[in-house]
Amino acid sequence: MNLRGMIWLALEGLLRKKGRNFLTTSGVFIGVFALTLIVSLGQGLSHAVTSTVSGTDNLRQVGLTGGFGIELSNDPAEIEIPGEMDEARRERLRRAAVNRRQIRQVAGRRANAIDDKTIAELSKLPHIESIQPVIVERYEMKLNGHDSPATLSYGVDVGRKRYADRVIAGSYFSGPGAPEAIVHEYLLYKWGMLTDGDYTKVIGQTVKLKTIQTELTPEQQAPPMLQEFMRDLSEEERKAMQTLLPKLLKQFGQSSQRRAAEREFTVVGVLREQMPGDPFNVIEDGNAVQADLFLPLETARELFLASAVNVELGYPRALVTVTDAEFAPEVEQTLRDKGYTAFSVASALKQIESVLLMITVSISFLTGIALIVSTLGIVNTMITSVIERTREIGIFKAVGATNAQVMTVFLCESAMIGLVGGLLGLALAALAMIPGDLLAVQLINEKAAIPFDQPVFVLPLWLMIAGPALGTGTAIVAAILPARRAARIDPVKALRHD
Amino acid sequence: MTLVVARDLWREYSQGGVAALAGVSVDIAQGEFVALLGRSGSGKSTLLNLLGGLDRPTRGSITVQGRDLATMSARELSLYRRSTVGFIFQSFNLVPTLPAWENVALPLVFQGIPREQRKRAALEMLDRVGLGARGHHRPSQMSGGEQQRVAIARALANRPQLLLCDEPTGNLDSNTSAQIMALIDDAHKAGAALVMVTHDPELARIHASRTIRMADGRIAEPVEVA
Ligand SMILES: Nc1ncnc2c1ncn2[C@@H]1O[C@H](COP(=O)(O)OP(=O)(O)OP(=O)(O)O)[C@@H](O)[C@H]1O
Ligand SMILES: [Mg+2]
Repeated sequence: MNLRGMIWLALEGLLRKKGRNFLTTSGVFIGVFALTLIVSLGQGLSHAVTSTVSGTDNLRQVGLTGGFGIELSNDPAEIEIPGEMDEARRERLRRAAVNRRQIRQVAGRRANAIDDKTIAELSKLPHIESIQPVIVERYEMKLNGHDSPATLSYGVDVGRKRYADRVIAGSYFSGPGAPEAIVHEYLLYKWGMLTDGDYTKVIGQTVKLKTIQTELTPEQQAPPMLQEFMRDLSEEERKAMQTLLPKLLKQFGQSSQRRAAEREFTVVGVLREQMPGDPFNVIEDGNAVQADLFLPLETARELFLASAVNVELGYPRALVTVTDAEFAPEVEQTLRDKGYTAFSVASALKQIESVLLMITVSISFLTGIALIVSTLGIVNTMITSVIERTREIGIFKAVGATNAQVMTVFLCESAMIGLVGGLLGLALAALAMIPGDLLAVQLINEKAAIPFDQPVFVLPLWLMIAGPALGTGTAIVAAILPARRAARIDPVKALRHD
Repeated sequence: MTLVVARDLWREYSQGGVAALAGVSVDIAQGEFVALLGRSGSGKSTLLNLLGGLDRPTRGSITVQGRDLATMSARELSLYRRSTVGFIFQSFNLVPTLPAWENVALPLVFQGIPREQRKRAALEMLDRVGLGARGHHRPSQMSGGEQQRVAIARALANRPQLLLCDEPTGNLDSNTSAQIMALIDDAHKAGAALVMVTHDPELARIHASRTIRMADGRIAEPVEVA
């Protein structure tokens, strides 16, 4: 069948009633417009999230935090509250006892502390490339006559040359355990040092770091078994115990001695602030955003462990790197099963993407309703058109049109309504994305901490085809019944029709 | 040679049990010119529509070139009309929004002939009916006679073997009628078999080679069957 002749007849029919057909088109137009925008937004956001995170080591990293007293039961029934009282009060006190017990446990050593021993053990798990402690500590700092009571420092992985690109004055660390430090430009700014000359003056100077004194109570220094024992003592017994404890600890070799660790390092460089475009590993660098002083990781670790509290409590966090991104969720789960708190970007990304997909699909579904409503308009227009053109259909048939050809004319007519609506919808959606992007980026940057410069709307080729195709398809489906009606018209009656 | 053999044709309408045709048998030879006469309501148009495959008989057979129209599918009937039949109506039945040449070219659209070729053929047909210069005019810009000439050009566009005319001059004055009849005569001379419904016995006498008179859905006078 030669379609072109039929398409031409359909077009001629459409142009006869421009106003009406334009109105019918607007239904499809709105549907495709909204659908294109929403799917583009879903694509754009998903793309923005993914590209912010991939291309670096993000997907291979799992953040690890020591677990909290998991051997402790939450079951109130386990604790007996004796004495004469009504059941409601007994229940309240039982709850209170449970809550207090839990909090006391948390204040001590974590049940799953991360120290060099556990790191060595966990490193033997499958798919793990490395585990290194994350060291973020505040120290008293003295540099160039300036004094800062609590400067946040961060241990940098020198082996991977992390932050080397951000050194704007001086040089990078000479090695993983070098007694060197790099200062952040913001710290210098706070001290009124702004010029390149100021920066050069700082380099080569000595920075003094000193542990901030936080006293451990003798009770906190006691071994866990002894802590457990003390918990259930009466008030008087405990007081007596507390006076005894320091002697006991000394006798049995527990370090009650609190030595303030103090070290000196040479400032070798100045680091600039993290900017969009710099590699950013959510887990690894998330710890460093507020740091003003940077040490090689080994150096930082040595200083960290020089403090007895830290030896006792272990590292607060560790960074696990898996051999391949695909294993990240699995390793994350294994660590959780072992009682640790673990977090991977890979699984968070999966969650974000599935949420985005869900939102996109459900909103698309809503706009789909607009498209369905537009089909009602098309059905109406097409039935009107068929009735108006009854005599013409009779003529078509008299000169040899088959039923299929008559049907084709009307399907083409409707398809063109759909196609025009779809193309207009696509074009306007594409136009709307320009101010939409500007607005969205501005809004996001007002709220979000990490600078954002990605397009929020992404219009992939498949969507450019799918939008108008969907409009056309919808219109064709809407026209099936009217077109069949046209095809079935009795030519003898139609030719008498006026 | 006979082109059409119609036997015992009945056409009944369910409403009120009216029989528009009640047992009509007729043969039409190739190149013959048959005039159909009869009172209003006698079944002339009904018979014409059956012969042209626009309608189906309730009973009976219409054999054209060895094939029975009564048993054909809708699609086969369409192809029969497309290849073998040309219709000319009293009310012209042109598409008002299409220019003359496109009305003439309409049968060629459904044959799948490309536009350029259609246009050339249509303008040639219009030239033959004396409207060579009017191809781009719409029916509303033409007189009745001119419109009927466009309709004739359209009916001849697919070079039909059977030309069916239902009162082709019914809406026209005598002068214009003569022009139209001359064109129909031309088509007949070119070899088409013709069946023409008319109320004018004089017209039938002058142009037709045979006259069939109908009354109440039957053929009123004995007709010799070839
Ligand atoms: N769709 C229909 N339903 C019921 N009866 C019909 C229908 N079409 C035609 N008829 C009847 O069939 C009979 C024949 O009609 P037909 O149109 O063939 O007559 P005709 O001879 O062509 O008349 P005219 O000279 O007025 O055109 C008439 O009585 C008419 O009322
Ligand atoms: Mg009639």
